Amino acid sequence: MSFGTSTDEETETGPGYPLRRIVLYVTLVAMAAFYLIPIETGIMTSLTNPSSYSGQFPYLPPLEPLLSGTGEFSLQPWQNAVDLLGQGLVNSAILVIPATILSGLLGSMAAYGLTTVSWRGQIAVYVTFVAGIFIPYQAVLVPLTQFWYNVVPLRTAFQPVTVLPFVQGYHWKLVALIVTHTAYGLPICTLLFRAHYKKLSDEMIEAARLDGASIYRIYRRIILPLSVPMFAVVFIYQFTQIWNDLLFALTIIQFGDASVVTQELVGLGVSQSGTNFPLRMAGALVAALPTLLVYVLFGEKFAKGVAA
Amino acid sequence: MAELTLDDVTKVFTEDDGNEIVAVDDVNIDIDDGEFLVLVGPSGCGKSTTLRMIAGLETITSGEISLDGRRINEKPPAERDIAMVFQSYALYPHMTVRENMSFGLEESTDMPDDEIATHVSETAEMMGIGDLLERKPADLSGGQQQRVALGRAIVRDPEAFLMDEPLSNLDAKLRATMRTELQRLQAELGVTTVYVTHDQTEAMTMGDRIAILDDGVLQQVGTPLECYHAPNNQFVAGFIGEPSMDFFPMDRRDDRLVGDRFEYELTAAQREAVGDADRVTLGVRPEDITVDIEGGGSHAYDVFVDVVEPRGDENTVHLTFDRGVDEPETFTATISGLRHIQAGEPVVATLPPDSIHLFDAETGVALHNRSLETTEVTEQLT
Repeated sequence: MSFGTSTDEETETGPGYPLRRIVLYVTLVAMAAFYLIPIETGIMTSLTNPSSYSGQFPYLPPLEPLLSGTGEFSLQPWQNAVDLLGQGLVNSAILVIPATILSGLLGSMAAYGLTTVSWRGQIAVYVTFVAGIFIPYQAVLVPLTQFWYNVVPLRTAFQPVTVLPFVQGYHWKLVALIVTHTAYGLPICTLLFRAHYKKLSDEMIEAARLDGASIYRIYRRIILPLSVPMFAVVFIYQFTQIWNDLLFALTIIQFGDASVVTQELVGLGVSQSGTNFPLRMAGALVAALPTLLVYVLFGEKFAKGVAA
Repeated sequence: MAELTLDDVTKVFTEDDGNEIVAVDDVNIDIDDGEFLVLVGPSGCGKSTTLRMIAGLETITSGEISLDGRRINEKPPAERDIAMVFQSYALYPHMTVRENMSFGLEESTDMPDDEIATHVSETAEMMGIGDLLERKPADLSGGQQQRVALGRAIVRDPEAFLMDEPLSNLDAKLRATMRTELQRLQAELGVTTVYVTHDQTEAMTMGDRIAILDDGVLQQVGTPLECYHAPNNQFVAGFIGEPSMDFFPMDRRDDRLVGDRFEYELTAAQREAVGDADRVTLGVRPEDITVDIEGGGSHAYDVFVDVVEPRGDENTVHLTFDRGVDEPETFTATISGLRHIQAGEPVVATLPPDSIHLFDAETGVALHNRSLETTEVTEQLT
């Protein structure tokens, strides 16, 4: 009885499973373990009482006193993490949601104008967009600081807005960061949407023109509804990029009340008396949860969109 | 509903390397209000480009197109009040059939929503798709999608319909059904229609008039029967008619034509028509050649049967002067489907002098077309 494909040299072991399949499974399990062990270790560490944390057997669950050296089970690190990161989480949310939506919308409009609508010189303009993808963030750090702190009077211009409820003075830094991330995210969003729009039927757009629709109406009624799969892709990509970014956040927000969660993670649990590993692990997992959630909700669309 | 006039319309495409391609060369056509004009020709002859220029989807290099007396060269497609049916139907995939059909009215008119809904329902009933209104294009068959595309054009009540090979993607049986239905629809609605196809059968059966294009140049504009019986040149003669006309290259010598295989005596009128031309192509339609088991006389030739294609109502017989050659040169004759003729049989083919066409071998221009006094067609053409 053979389960595999028919080849001349088929070695069979055990209950009829070909050797090739066993090797495949072993490799897959090894790869899965390789990827998941750090996360599993993090989870186990984060559920350990800091005072009983010993640093031994980090990948084992904290089952003191059953297994000595693994530490006591405790949810305290998680509670502390949420308390300490709370402000950062809020700031990150304020940053990410507008920036993602904006870069998605603007990228879609830009791609539409550069792909579906025909005009002279549009390829040249598109090429400059693509060039923007390759700008290393590190190269623009100093100019960015100059821009937001010395050139553009955003801090003062933002003051009148603080009369609104929930708006604080330091939020101007988040606005600056939103604008920065939108700008730097535009090239890749435009590229993604362009790939999608190139596949749309030319004749369908021509039919819409003959039906009397203007360029704007074609966008609103035809292009936009058909872009939903790509919006899922862009949304997940930009959300992950912006939420996890530390470099621009440090450069523009620097320190203080406007700090986002990545910044707050840097110093979490580090003090003169040593490093509180359970707290740091819990903090990292708390910070990663929103991205995980977004992926769970939109992940299927993302895989479909990227493959297309 | 309006007249559509094309005046010296030319389209030149310039490639990246500077090469200029003349896709449409000085085309002049006057289409009457309510007329069904078919633009026909082989692939790449410029018929789709001409149609797209009428629609506004291509710019016009020179010349003028007017609709209802007004020049429309500069008008964008959205303002021309023209509806187009595409070969691929070009339906909006995310909208239902109803929304597809309402789109044009919503975008180009101020009609209130309930009026639009009524129009759409009525047109859908007329097209036989009334019960498909809430479906999306992906859930429809090819034939149903085509009706939606047609319905979308009809509901707008435009000045003109443009159709770009709308039946090409349908299977043969459906194509035949839709041909008659389209004709009936157009007659009922009375909208000026320009229909592009490469299929000469569609051109012959559907058009009030047909315009034949070759390589961007207009060859002839006329009723189907005019183009069939009185072609302007050899191209039209060979393009229209299925099976195509047989051509024999001949040399003129005194009062006869001399070819590779046979000689053909000309009548006085034919001699006069040929004039000074040295090399002449003799053309004759397959249905005019009579095939007998034996016979003689002038214009009768001994030939052999190479292949017989039985079609039921007719037999298409491929005849050749050479017997025993592997791939002989053949010409076609059409005979009654009830006659029984076998491959290899020797027969006598007669080319009656009152049914031949003569073309100048250099220019292709028709020098003499068949005389129609012996048929009733003359009545219809005059």
